[in-house]
Amino acid sequence: MTVNNTIAHQRLILSGDRERFKELLRRRLIECGWRDQVRMLCRDVVKENESNNVTFETLVTKVTPKARAIVPDSVKKELLQKIKTHLLTQKDQ
Amino acid sequence: MNDNGCIHLNNFKAAKGTNPYKIVHAFFVTCTSFEARRYKATSCLCFTCGKPGPRMHSCLHCIFFACYDGHIQDHSKSKKHFLYVDLSYGNVFCAQCQDYIYDRELTEIAMSHRMKEAKSLGISVPFMPWLPNNNEAMALRRLRKRRLISPHTTIGLRGLQNLGSTCFMNCIVQTLIHTPLLRDYFLGEKHKCKAQGSGKCLVCEVSKLFQEFYSGAKTPLTLHRLLHLIWTHARHLAGYEQQDAHEFFIATLDVLHRHCMNGVEDTEKKENGRCNCIIDQIFTGGLQSDVVCTSCSGVSTTIDPFWDISLDVAGPGSLQACLERFTRAEHLGSGAKIKCSKCRAYRESTKQLTLETLPIVASFHLKRFEHSSQIDRKISAFVSFPAELDMTPFMSSHRRAVDMGAADNNNAPEGIFEDNRYSLFAVVNHLGSLDAGHYTAYVRQMKGSWFKCDDHMITRASLREVLDSEGYLLFYHKTVLEYECDVS
Repeated sequence: MTVNNTIAHQRLILSGDRERFKELLRRRLIECGWRDQVRMLCRDVVKENESNNVTFETLVTKVTPKARAIVPDSVKKELLQKIKTHLLTQKDQ
Repeated sequence: MNDNGCIHLNNFKAAKGTNPYKIVHAFFVTCTSFEARRYKATSCLCFTCGKPGPRMHSCLHCIFFACYDGHIQDHSKSKKHFLYVDLSYGNVFCAQCQDYIYDRELTEIAMSHRMKEAKSLGISVPFMPWLPNNNEAMALRRLRKRRLISPHTTIGLRGLQNLGSTCFMNCIVQTLIHTPLLRDYFLGEKHKCKAQGSGKCLVCEVSKLFQEFYSGAKTPLTLHRLLHLIWTHARHLAGYEQQDAHEFFIATLDVLHRHCMNGVEDTEKKENGRCNCIIDQIFTGGLQSDVVCTSCSGVSTTIDPFWDISLDVAGPGSLQACLERFTRAEHLGSGAKIKCSKCRAYRESTKQLTLETLPIVASFHLKRFEHSSQIDRKISAFVSFPAELDMTPFMSSHRRAVDMGAADNNNAPEGIFEDNRYSLFAVVNHLGSLDAGHYTAYVRQMKGSWFKCDDHMITRASLREVLDSEGYLLFYHKTVLEYECDVS
């Protein structure tokens, strides 16, 4: 992360917009069914490893690549565009 | 998942209590104030490598932030500080158990902080599913009867007898019964009435009606008590002739709104000068009217509450086009001069209506009946309406942004976090002519499952059939609900 990126990151936290974007993303991922799909992926991992205790780390390593891949393009596009627009308008002020 | 934590966390809590977690969580996980956001923005950097991630954690034993790329683990090992908090989600990691652990007490703290954060940011509180308390859990165990809701379930559907030209009432009752939030309110038995049992309260009558609709019985209902109550409280509708369904709808909301007020204490009645009854919570929006003086460009703005929007149908072919025309700036001309408060004189002006706040249920009335001194007529023109409607373009805030040239359609800067999408859930149709007509209604029982209600007859319908019909009253429900929190 460059200095500029860090400053942008800090400004997003300070204004609360980072949380607002997070909430928007959370909402979109629930609406499109992504969260339910990821829940099923997690269930599968737990079922496969029924004999041993599944930790958070195993879940993250096994599920993350698949979960990232199934995020719909429309959601990525919307968030990207909105964050971009937002940062550009903030800069002007 | 067990939420009793682990022995290590329990020992920690016994020695130091929950305060260390509370402070870390309120300042660095979900910031409950502006001050907290300032701390989070400036100090959440890894003490070892100076980077803001990935996966920042905070030690629970001392003041130490570090990333999950090995640095928090190094600290934990060298200092024997085994508990650390993930700063993105607020979960506690126990290095001795080698996993995140869940503790009910800490989860409750996290939840209350999330509510405070939402309040501090002015955003919707996250949806929280209903958790039965001990009494409710006992009651559920006692009542063994369960009903499985499948796509073929017809519970909640019942025909209504025609009592002699009362189809105008039947179609409005069907619409109200199938209004999702109103259903939740009444089936949750939220109406507490002072006048209980007097038989005079329309809200109590509607409450009983919901029980009848969801009792599982299939015979058509007779609404004589409801009709009588409305006749008593809205005298202009009394009589045996056919009435206008729109007029009946507004009169019913009005009586319900007045009767809601009977049941509550005076102190609860109004919040910020606005009525807080269930009818107003669901149906009331704010209509903004901007009158701009053509000589001094001074704007005078008023905001009025509305329960529905009446739209002219002559001309436009779609609901969106009607709304577009409704919210367009209109020149009032020389014949209708208005006194400008700035110029202190009567001036020509333009007037523009926009939606300042949207109700949860948006009701549209297509003005198909034209009454003038010369002629009374019905306009049967087809007006298309969508199953999903975005109201953003008709909002006051959006119009303002468009006027300033800052917006390209849906991306007005202040509109980024707004969600103004609506879904169609009921349509009232008028068939026939002005003198000899009949009302029917289409209602959505579950998502994607539509029924036609023609007095005592209920038949399955397709969405296509609904959208192709000659709509008279259109009812849309907000797709995503925003929750308010009541923490102070």
